[in-house]
Amino acid sequence: MEEFERELRQALERRPAPPGLKRRLMAQRDANVARGGWRAWLGKAGYGRGWATATAALLLLAMAGGGVRWELDRRQEERNGEAAREQVLTALRITGHALNQVQTRLAEHDRQAREGER
Amino acid sequence: MAQDWQPDFERLVDEHQAMVYSLALRMTGDRGLAEEIAQDTFLEFDKHLRTIKGEDHARWWLRRVAMSRATDALRRRRVRGMDLWVALNEQDGVTGEEKSSPLGARLEYLLTTLPEAQRAALILRYQEDMMPEEIAAMQDAPVATVKSNLQRGLKLLRAKATSQLKEFIRGA
Repeated sequence: MEEFERELRQALERRPAPPGLKRRLMAQRDANVARGGWRAWLGKAGYGRGWATATAALLLLAMAGGGVRWELDRRQEERNGEAAREQVLTALRITGHALNQVQTRLAEHDRQAREGER
Repeated sequence: MAQDWQPDFERLVDEHQAMVYSLALRMTGDRGLAEEIAQDTFLEFDKHLRTIKGEDHARWWLRRVAMSRATDALRRRRVRGMDLWVALNEQDGVTGEEKSSPLGARLEYLLTTLPEAQRAALILRYQEDMMPEEIAAMQDAPVATVKSNLQRGLKLLRAKATSQLKEFIRGA
């Protein structure tokens, strides 16, 4: 069996890679880098998946913060609008009351004038 | 020592391209496919270069991925119903100058007719000179399974060689 194993070992010596394999490989690698664009550049610059995740998390956080801020502003504006509406209604109520008083006085004045004529 | 290791992709390609190509070729039996697998393996290796800790780790990683890619390629080809070994016989031939001896050439061909697990074990043992324990660790398989594949593969290969290559055995 040892002789057979020796023969097998000899038969299974590594074959040389085809000529041009490395050249084609490097060309493919360069093409991938060019196609990869900024992601590949970030990868080569050492900003790997961790950085991408952190950036995405920051963006999400900023978006969530922006959403909360927008909702708070909207509620504040709603409160301001409600207060303004209350003020207008109060003013209208006061005006209505004053007009009623004026009307009452005019009616009283008319009644007294008619009694004086008699 | 490992911390001082600076991966140089081009140098690693120079150093390991014969190993990766030979593994893929002997697993698939197809030169074109083997070259494709070698390219894919090295491109994947380039992506993981920062995680490679040293020369031994690089060799281990390349062997593992090349074998895995070759196995995947074989499965895909089987699904498509192609006979790879015909391709090897026709393209690689048995008369190539690369072969060391007629018996060696026939052994290499007969190896391609073995079951995949036995073939993989024999290639890693006799091409890469790996110990059964190393093969088991690389394949995430029990050592006993690897040893069994090696023994059965050797026995089957020898039986095939004896029956089909009597003229070479006699001449040896």
